[in-house]
Amino acid sequence: MSSNAVASNVAGGSIKALAGLALAASISSAFAGPVTDAMILNDQNTPNDVLTVGMGTTGQRFSSSTQINSDTVVDLVPAWSFSFGGEKQRGQETQALVHDGKIFITGSYSRLWALDQKTGSKLWSYEHRLPEGIVPCCDVVNRGAALYDNLVIFGTLDAKLVALNADTGKVVWTETIDDFKGGYSYTAAPLIVKGKLITGVSGGEFGVVGRIEARDAKTGKMVWSRPTVEGHMGYLNGKENGISGKTNATWPGDLWKTGGAATWLGCTYGADTNLIYCGTGNPAPWNAFTRPGDNLYSTSTVAINADNGKIEWSYQGTPNDHWDFDGVNEFIAFDLKKDGKTVKAGAKADRNGFFYVLNRENGKLLAASPFVTKQTWASGVDLKTGRPVESNNRPGDPQKAEKGSSVFAAPSFLGGKNWMPMAYSGQTGLFYVPANEWGMDIWNEPITYKKGAAYLGAGFTIKPLYDDYIGALRAVDPATGKIVWEYKNPAPLWGGVMTTAGNLVFTGTPEGFLKAFDAKTGKELWKFQTGSGVVGQPTTWEQDGEQYVGVASGWGGAVPLWGGEVAKKVKDISQGGSFWVFKLHKSGKATVAQQ
Amino acid sequence: MSTLPLIVMLCLVAASASAAELPADPLNSPAWSTIAGRYFKGQTVAFDARVKVTAPSSAEDPLDVPVQISAEGLPDVQEMLVVADLNPIQKILSYEPLRAAPSLAFRFKVEQSTPIRVAARTRDGVWHLGGVWLSAAGGGCTTPSYGSADPVWQTRLNEVRGRLWPADDHTGQRLRLRVIHPMDTGLANGIPAFYIDRIVLSDAKGVTLARLNTFEPVSENPVLSFDLRGSGAVQVSGGDIQGNTFSAEISP
Repeated sequence: MSSNAVASNVAGGSIKALAGLALAASISSAFAGPVTDAMILNDQNTPNDVLTVGMGTTGQRFSSSTQINSDTVVDLVPAWSFSFGGEKQRGQETQALVHDGKIFITGSYSRLWALDQKTGSKLWSYEHRLPEGIVPCCDVVNRGAALYDNLVIFGTLDAKLVALNADTGKVVWTETIDDFKGGYSYTAAPLIVKGKLITGVSGGEFGVVGRIEARDAKTGKMVWSRPTVEGHMGYLNGKENGISGKTNATWPGDLWKTGGAATWLGCTYGADTNLIYCGTGNPAPWNAFTRPGDNLYSTSTVAINADNGKIEWSYQGTPNDHWDFDGVNEFIAFDLKKDGKTVKAGAKADRNGFFYVLNRENGKLLAASPFVTKQTWASGVDLKTGRPVESNNRPGDPQKAEKGSSVFAAPSFLGGKNWMPMAYSGQTGLFYVPANEWGMDIWNEPITYKKGAAYLGAGFTIKPLYDDYIGALRAVDPATGKIVWEYKNPAPLWGGVMTTAGNLVFTGTPEGFLKAFDAKTGKELWKFQTGSGVVGQPTTWEQDGEQYVGVASGWGGAVPLWGGEVAKKVKDISQGGSFWVFKLHKSGKATVAQQ
Repeated sequence: MSTLPLIVMLCLVAASASAAELPADPLNSPAWSTIAGRYFKGQTVAFDARVKVTAPSSAEDPLDVPVQISAEGLPDVQEMLVVADLNPIQKILSYEPLRAAPSLAFRFKVEQSTPIRVAARTRDGVWHLGGVWLSAAGGGCTTPSYGSADPVWQTRLNEVRGRLWPADDHTGQRLRLRVIHPMDTGLANGIPAFYIDRIVLSDAKGVTLARLNTFEPVSENPVLSFDLRGSGAVQVSGGDIQGNTFSAEISP
């Protein structure tokens, strides 16, 4: 109304200028200032910023930017690189966030840096003082931060959450998730849903109890918590909010009290369903003979009401898991177009080797197909019951013996796909899945729980299935379950995947390359050697008319620690710790001519 | 000779003239002009015998040097600043006595032989300075704190112990505090800075008695003594740079 009044009082020539000013103001306000819920929900559609790990709350990791595309990507060159410094290197599994002229990136050993978006210069850093007694199972990684209001929030290896002022790096609030001496730690990126900070727990190898918690993102105050092991009480605003499931329905005796199901990879969110989708880890201990039953809600996707913290539905991939097939993998909402209909669906490439497509409103199984070449433990999934058709591949019961009989099983416990997130392109209709081809010898051992100690009851050793490759980036058509193309990599793939409207798919390799592929054909179009293995999550943003791609480099993660024979194959990869940023090459001559 | 070097020379003369306005340092510290420029720029400073630092002449343990500061006899002290000229991190603490006496005892880490100075700012804005030389074998700031070897802080971080007793002259009471904290300087390789940066004392009614900001050089598991006026229980609250907080009540 007020702008109309102004327009009527000025000459026609000025109206244009006013409109121009208003447009400029609205553009800058779209990516500056405090981060709001609306901005987070719209993250996937705003190429000037990256406000969420997953590039949007659904976690599709799809960018609408097209300047870097399958034609121009050959000219992609480094713009700058930032070293994480110090002696603390190891795995860098993080994704950068971009907002208000700053890049926020986390690193190994619970560190976080704010960088100048244009130059890569360090603005401030936060290094968490870690106690000596931390027990992260699978390397000292961190998978990214969350932005909300004027805060950057991330979790630490001693199971704390730290909220920092985005401008100064000063601590605004800190909260303890749980006692690190009990085996708890935190490595995932938190998720923001309606002003709440959504987090899980790590520590599934130590008999912790998995749960999802929602805190007020501005203050850290707890709003609700929802355990992911049946029998435990949930809370809402400090009051009891019903136990998860029914005590002892799928767990015998007291084992649920240390039942695992760690929610160590965080969650995605579907605004249209108001559901938070969280994957859960293996039940504890690994030796399944100790815990007959389905052991809900382990190895599942759990859909939780964002407002009241209640479980609306769950789907379990590996009932009574015996192979450490954590079901933590990200559940990505997408619109499934099949037989002329559009279904509100979600997909998950599970550690157990199945690519599941579920109805995201009610959890009903729509399809399940293998995305790896070999699955010894199950021959398929019964679409009526939603349960796997098992093929008698469980290791023997040790009873009182020192060691039960061993079996060879595939995938290995490091999974057909592990933590590294896949991507979905609405443009090609394909999921891009970073898979690995390996199996394991696995056997059981007797076990009793001891606080803070590894709680496995199993022994294992990993073996590659093929001589020439372990990693395979696969394009999966969710409508048919067919693999449309694949790229084979000698070392196991351990980094996140991103896809763009420029018909590109990006991912990193332990050999040190960031690579770009044609999204339709899988043809390798570009690669760059970053100096250390890439196990980070690539992302992209636009600034001043140029598109940038950024990825963390630094070899580590679970493979060198748990990889058996594979660990030997990758032991000569150099460690590192840096963040690389790329853009299209522009010759100096061209820049001068433009001016 | 062109005119340009002449201008440069003039600037140099001007700079040394303004530096000459600083009173000569009775401690003859090589870092005096740096310290003065950093903490007292554009302000009036005066060396004053009423401002005292008591410390051993030689540091037996460079990680834990006991120091007592006092500006008794100086009216209206608003703030007391303690610096060690030749430490890699000079600023040790700043203290607002408010309703307490302008005196404090603490322990700190010393890197090499250095002057320890206390500057007391009175209501008129003048900084009154006193200090002593401390000789030290060194290494206190770049050595990992005991905390990295002694895991006690990992279970007892920010645990407060304290004791109150009446002053000898019956004008108030003395409070001694000990807080469990590694007080890492960030200079030891691989250990990030991690230290208590604020402690506030208040009485039972919530009236603030004194406010203290501590920095990296304060010793691990800080031991602090305050001279308070009045009597009764004292509320202690504080926190470190990573958002961990503590509070305790110390009763006589």
